[in-house]
Amino acid sequence: MRARTVALSILSSVAVLAIGWELGTQVQPPGAAPLATSAPSTASGPDASSPASPGAIAPSPAGVSGTFTGASVATRFGNVQVKVTVTNGAITDVTALHLTDRDPRSRSISNRAAPVLRREVLAAQSADVQGVSGATYTSDGYLSSLQSALDRAGL
Amino acid sequence: MVIRTMANPRIAPRTLPDGVYRSRRIQTRRRLRVTDTLVALCWTSVSLAVALWLSYGGVGQVTDLASAITAAGIVAGLMGTDLVLLMLVLAARIPAVDRAVGQNVAIAFHRRLGKPALYLLLGHGVLLTIGYALADGSTVVAETVALFNGPDMALAYAGLGLLVTVVVSSLVAVRRRYSYETWHLIHLLSYVAVLVAVPHQLSASGMLAEGTWQGVYWIGLYVLAFGSIALFRFVLPVVRSVRHDIRVAGIERIAPGVVSLHLRGKHLDRLNVAGGQYAIWRFWTPTTWWHAHPISFSAMPTDTSARITVRELGSGSASISQVRPGTRVWLEGPYGVFTHAYRAAPQMAVVAAGIGITPIRALLEHSVLQPGEATVLLRASDPGESYLWPELAALPSMAGNRLYAMIGARPPGLATWMSAADLARGVTIMSVFPDLLNSDLFVCGPQSWTDLVVRDARQAGLPSEQIHVERFDW
Repeated sequence: MRARTVALSILSSVAVLAIGWELGTQVQPPGAAPLATSAPSTASGPDASSPASPGAIAPSPAGVSGTFTGASVATRFGNVQVKVTVTNGAITDVTALHLTDRDPRSRSISNRAAPVLRREVLAAQSADVQGVSGATYTSDGYLSSLQSALDRAGL
Repeated sequence: MVIRTMANPRIAPRTLPDGVYRSRRIQTRRRLRVTDTLVALCWTSVSLAVALWLSYGGVGQVTDLASAITAAGIVAGLMGTDLVLLMLVLAARIPAVDRAVGQNVAIAFHRRLGKPALYLLLGHGVLLTIGYALADGSTVVAETVALFNGPDMALAYAGLGLLVTVVVSSLVAVRRRYSYETWHLIHLLSYVAVLVAVPHQLSASGMLAEGTWQGVYWIGLYVLAFGSIALFRFVLPVVRSVRHDIRVAGIERIAPGVVSLHLRGKHLDRLNVAGGQYAIWRFWTPTTWWHAHPISFSAMPTDTSARITVRELGSGSASISQVRPGTRVWLEGPYGVFTHAYRAAPQMAVVAAGIGITPIRALLEHSVLQPGEATVLLRASDPGESYLWPELAALPSMAGNRLYAMIGARPPGLATWMSAADLARGVTIMSVFPDLLNSDLFVCGPQSWTDLVVRDARQAGLPSEQIHVERFDW
């Protein structure tokens, strides 16, 4: 091949790769954008001290107790939905109602990640925790669903 | 023995009008730029595949060894798929590509991409399996089994297996043992291999995701590859063949083992055949309909007639020489860059051997040559191989131009294109063509012989733009 052809090819390839790299270092991690939050499903369990209507003013966080179900978050690998148990304003349990189950691999990833996420959430007492490496979609769905449950609880 | 015919060779060649030579240089430079652009586009396409993955945060996913290996596997898969789709584009016989570089160069590039593409895709499978195994804490074997359980992944493995079959069957050592048609049938499996891998690309990766630039790129590349093949290898040839309604008008045996097929048709001038081009012919008889042959036009077609000349080298070409008048003929093309439109120099040097004279006779018929512009050397191992020579000598373009004949076997054991007698007399390519460095060299003949002529020309310092070779070996 001619020298000029080689030079042109290398130049153009390097330029394209450089632009891609630059764009990649600015972009958000893939979990944030593609998730679509579907309509919230009915809350299960007694809602003892908070009113059922959506726009109600949340009561003081210290006194909240009950179980609150988060929205079902759709991901590429299946829906994720969690339920949070709150006792006197503190998160005491997080239960996964539905995890990514599109294929065996997704199931195994979620099953590995869910306990880790639960532990972190209980320690941090909020949804502001790091996702599990290698389980980006599960983590984002889990934490989104958890946050919507916490919103419902007024926490 | 060197026979001089035609006019006194000591007449000084009349120089070309400046305009002709200048436009040739401009056209040559433009064509080289187009070639450069096409090659650069191919490499940029592979980089783009990786760059798009990078731009969607690919590197951000690399946090430890397992994810690094997984990322490497993904990149290998993206590059391999890109190369495979490019190979389909190169094999689609796109007329613009043929006009720029010629089908032979396109197919040679296609062949060179085969092994790298396969290695990248095998690497894709291996690296991803290892990466997943490390991430899940399981063994490679268990991971492979787990991967097989998804329906899309089983198909992906099947596609990879088909691709391995296709590449192995195309290795020279293997291909030699089977007929062309058998090899071609196996090669068609590559379409299946590509299509069968698409489901796992949809489900397990984001490369075809709607609404992303990455998706746009890959969908566009798939459409380009399969669309080109559908259009240029199926639709266009069928439409053209039906429109021109070509049939065999007569068969003329011009030498032992050599026949000229006279064809008749309609509006053949609209094919825009240039002298030196070829087409891929299919003869509709029960024994010949399933193989297609590249055969050069041995004369310029008129509105209603055309001629091709075939040497019976194998069972395929032998059965062609036995078709009956009235047989329907389909063609694909015309293709080829072995024409006067691709000239880059003021003078012309022509070397033809045996059946290689066919495109050259058409080329010289189509060229408008000044006296002294061209020197033609016709080569044959014995006098029985001198078919079409008198016809060529009688062409109007040959008036005032030199025509040499070189008849005789090559010296045994020596790698030379010349006859033993002439080699002994000290004939060299420069003594036959003193003006070689100022000429376009057109060579056509058996593969290895042609390579030797080109070798001599390159050693004499002739640049590639001035060397034109027609090959029949693909």
